[in-house]
Amino acid sequence: MTPAPEHLVEAVLLVSARPVRLDDLVSATGLSEGETAQALENLSARYSPEDSGIVLRAVAGGHVFSTNPACAVAVERFREEARPAPLSGAAHEVLACALYLGPLTRGSVSRVRGVNSDAVVRNLLERNLLAEAGADRDAPGSPALLAVTDAFLAVADAGSGEDFPPLNSLVSPEELARVRERLTSSEEVPDEKEG
Amino acid sequence: MTAPSTGRSLADFTVELDVYSGPYEWLLALILKEELEIFEVPLRELVGLYAGSRDPEAANALDRDTDFAGSAAALILLKSRTLSPALEPEPDGEDAAAATPEELAERLQEYLKIRRAAEHLRDRLARAAGHYASAHTLPPKPGRLRVSGDRVTLAARRAFSRLVEPPVRHLGPITVTLQELAGMIRSGLFRGPVSYEALTRDMDRLRSAVAFAAALSLAQEGVVRLIQPEPLGTLTLEPLEPNR
Repeated sequence: MTPAPEHLVEAVLLVSARPVRLDDLVSATGLSEGETAQALENLSARYSPEDSGIVLRAVAGGHVFSTNPACAVAVERFREEARPAPLSGAAHEVLACALYLGPLTRGSVSRVRGVNSDAVVRNLLERNLLAEAGADRDAPGSPALLAVTDAFLAVADAGSGEDFPPLNSLVSPEELARVRERLTSSEEVPDEKEG
Repeated sequence: MTAPSTGRSLADFTVELDVYSGPYEWLLALILKEELEIFEVPLRELVGLYAGSRDPEAANALDRDTDFAGSAAALILLKSRTLSPALEPEPDGEDAAAATPEELAERLQEYLKIRRAAEHLRDRLARAAGHYASAHTLPPKPGRLRVSGDRVTLAARRAFSRLVEPPVRHLGPITVTLQELAGMIRSGLFRGPVSYEALTRDMDRLRSAVAFAAALSLAQEGVVRLIQPEPLGTLTLEPLEPNR
């Protein structure tokens, strides 16, 4: 009996802890790209958060089976492990720098944030949320360039960097104008003769 | 006459801000622990609150004013460092010149965007938490390993980078050798067995350590036998070959 395309794709996804790209699925199952895409669509419907304890997620450029977050407490109890501690505000800022402005060097991250960020970067490298992606050959010493990883996209539930809102949409023009006005106006010495 | 300073003249000063309400000292502690962003604390309002609560007739008024001025100055410095991203000077001296208000505004605007993006990420990561992938981990695929030249260069540079050598000037010049002390032990054994203590009685720590190494070396060569009846007891060196 020849297994159905969904069964083949389902079996391959089950044994992968990392997102599997479409071409890898095509290669593993021997299906055509169209059949594989259709199988993924069918599986997405079957493994939806409303209907299953397992969900099919499209993250980091591929697909991966994960447990339904609604069942997380039971899973954590079974595995006898606590949920990882949430990242600090500084870590979120460094990740935002790498996501929106990256790849960039540690120095550039520190310049944007205004504080030394080496310790935070080191921690994120250890957690595999940041990775070195080449070197800035124009800078003295060719410092390493940092970029977010596929693991970051997976924990952010994002298919790619395109899934995040544009940086400029996150702050209103009015707020930016207020910042500019506050800084530039505070530098001006009031002239009492005028007015 | 002034009241003796207790070191906590601001203990009774409480503040009411949008971001915090409570004792001023706790506010400072929260800022220092980075649990409250200095960026969000309106310093002008803080100074206004202090000025409003100030009692010039109080016995410790001078202590309070001094302590508040000191802590407020530290907060201003901290906030200015947070807002002005001038860290180490650039090698080309680009940052050496004071940034103009326009440049500062640009930087602050950029930081503000990153700050908002970080808040967005925090919410997004919190929403996505609780997904656990399959526990089956795929083995690496060596045949499909992509080797990036840049990463290999970085790894090689790390692996072969020369470590900073520790300073050794304090050790002084080497004045004793193993061979020299081995010869001294051999000559000391002419009259028969000798204790290690007797051999090294007039030696400094370096020479007695090298003498011990020389004794071990001679024992390995079969020239002497080391006898120590009990641990940490007297060590005796006994000649094994006829002395020449």
